[in-house]
Amino acid sequence: MNEISAFRSERSAEDQADATGLIRGLGWFGVTLGVAELAVPRLLASAIGVDRHGAAPVILRAMGVREIASSAAVLVRPDHPAPRWARVIGDAIDLGLLGLALGSPGTGRRRLALALGMVAGVTALDVIAARRRGRARHPLPVIAAVTINRSPMEVYEFCRRLEQLPQFMKYLASVEQHPNRRSTWTARLPVGGTVQWEAELVEDRPGQVLSWRSVEGSQVQTRGRVTFTRAPGRDMTEVRVEMQLGVFGRGPSLELARLFARPQVRGDLRRLKQVLETGEVLHSDASVHRLPHPAQPSPASREIPPPQVLVDSPPTAVKGVSP
Amino acid sequence: MKANVWMGKRKVSVEQVPDPRILNARDAIVRVTSTTICGSDLHLYNGFVPTMQRGDILGHEFMGEVVELGSAVKNLMIGDRVVVPFAIACGNCEECLLHNFSLCENANPNAWISEKLMGHAVTGAFGYAHLTGGFAGGQAEYVRVPYADFGPLKVPSALTDEQVLFLSDIFPTGYMAAEFCEINPRKVIAVWGAGPVGQFAIASARLLGAEKVIAIDRFAYRLDLAVKRAGATDVINYEEVPSVHEALMDLTAGRGPDACIDAVGLEAHGTGAEYAYDKVKQTLRIELDRPIAVRDAIMACRNGGIVSVIGVYAGLVDKFPLGALMNRGLTIKSGQCHVHRYMKPLLERIERGDIDPTFVISHRMKLDDAPVGYDMFVHKRDGAMKIVLHT
Repeated sequence: MNEISAFRSERSAEDQADATGLIRGLGWFGVTLGVAELAVPRLLASAIGVDRHGAAPVILRAMGVREIASSAAVLVRPDHPAPRWARVIGDAIDLGLLGLALGSPGTGRRRLALALGMVAGVTALDVIAARRRGRARHPLPVIAAVTINRSPMEVYEFCRRLEQLPQFMKYLASVEQHPNRRSTWTARLPVGGTVQWEAELVEDRPGQVLSWRSVEGSQVQTRGRVTFTRAPGRDMTEVRVEMQLGVFGRGPSLELARLFARPQVRGDLRRLKQVLETGEVLHSDASVHRLPHPAQPSPASREIPPPQVLVDSPPTAVKGVSP
Repeated sequence: MKANVWMGKRKVSVEQVPDPRILNARDAIVRVTSTTICGSDLHLYNGFVPTMQRGDILGHEFMGEVVELGSAVKNLMIGDRVVVPFAIACGNCEECLLHNFSLCENANPNAWISEKLMGHAVTGAFGYAHLTGGFAGGQAEYVRVPYADFGPLKVPSALTDEQVLFLSDIFPTGYMAAEFCEINPRKVIAVWGAGPVGQFAIASARLLGAEKVIAIDRFAYRLDLAVKRAGATDVINYEEVPSVHEALMDLTAGRGPDACIDAVGLEAHGTGAEYAYDKVKQTLRIELDRPIAVRDAIMACRNGGIVSVIGVYAGLVDKFPLGALMNRGLTIKSGQCHVHRYMKPLLERIERGDIDPTFVISHRMKLDDAPVGYDMFVHKRDGAMKIVLHT
């Protein structure tokens, strides 16, 4: 995973205390027990030696609901300690209830003692798990990728001329490259109006990688990188975009990038591929409109963007098929 | 200009719409001289293909005269007579380099829709809903053709429109279905569906050397044509036999056809409970397609044989006999036709007189009568086979 995992380096420390297996195991155990408590409370009551006709089944059902809730939370957020401590508290309540039952008449002491022992064991495991760390399923940092029939250097060179990015990145109004490594980006907002931010190039390795970050105090906070690698066995380029985005005053995060930027970036990469392979961005009768439009030509009164050939010599076209 | 537009389920009408303009440098505007209604247009007409929009211009089989060219088109001239492949392809991407033109990676501005529906994008096509890009179709007086420096085939003036028109889709489509079958004289080929594509699949199987070709349909007039003109050696009318499977086992002495072509697709008809089951599920949108023909084809196909799926499917099916497919070593070959691959060689076959594609034409109409044509075709009235529209 070499370069791709750049943003995940902070994980290595956590991994040493990884208790994911134990945490997930307890989660599943809890869900199973909870379902049993909900579904067959009388059977369980007999098994642990309490009166199966009194209040016990009702209490067991309530315990089942709680057990499922806390355990499901553990499974959903194995990286977060709170659900695990919730399980520990639940264990304490269970132990208390079982202790009370021990004092009441008509109970099978031996079975109840066995149940108490088992719950105590689970409690011990829950305490251990709550103090350890779990691992979330980290999403891949790459939010979009495409393969282009051009060499890595050609793709890099086209992308490095930042001023022409708006030609295939639809939401960009302009990019202005300053003499230093800084640039000013202006984007159109879907609700109208524009937003502007300043970015700087961090890494610039021709034919390999471009990475950027927004400068301190920008309205839009973004960082990311584009890697250009030769596709296996052919003279084509695999382009991968890693990106983090911060909006509404939040710092850059992968989640926001996946939510807001990914659909855009995917389209951008498709258009980049079109430009580099066929010379221009392809339009259809419907796609020249921003809103849904039937597949029929636009009225003559409507202005349409003039054809714009951005790249002169597309790679070798297929020979011998077309006339 | 006039164009035939989709107005909703089972409703088309010829309307006045704006003339097309050049949108890309590699575009051409073609004045349509002949166009047709395709069986796959009926899937749109009947509302089975997602992403149709009221006002969409239909039609993906057309030909005509070049009247305007984008600045990057160097190989065509104003006045050239061309046939245009229904699938749009750029000629530059990896799939085009591999001659898989209907899988072109650049020709669909709405790629994201089909990525959601089908996992990966399908290529662009004329007049075929918005999941194939939202391109206006060719049932119109004029049409804009993207990548015109790559797709359109110039045709010699010695040949009439009707002789070359079907190079845009159904002839190459039927031919590709037959080519999938890896035909040699020993192979027995069964073709489900004796509509226009089925007719060309049968004719192509014969051209490629099959000795025995079996046509399966429910309309006597279609089976007649299959025998008299396409060259089918045997026919099965599935409404007149107790079981297509038994009839095929009889005709092949128990082996089953070596290759089976599904030239029917998602609106297959059938008999009995199975047809009712799929019809109900499709109506409720629990499955998008009625896979009756392809199920039959898989069950009938000889062990180790090939099932060639050229009929159009849109989405999900159920009760798919995957066990038969796997355990009996069958191979499925499928795809929208890579038309560009076949246009020139098939044009040569037409010029040599190997085949006269006009045999499928049953009706000739004016573009204005397109709605009548759709109605006639969908109800198979008056022996409707292939309806050609002249402008």
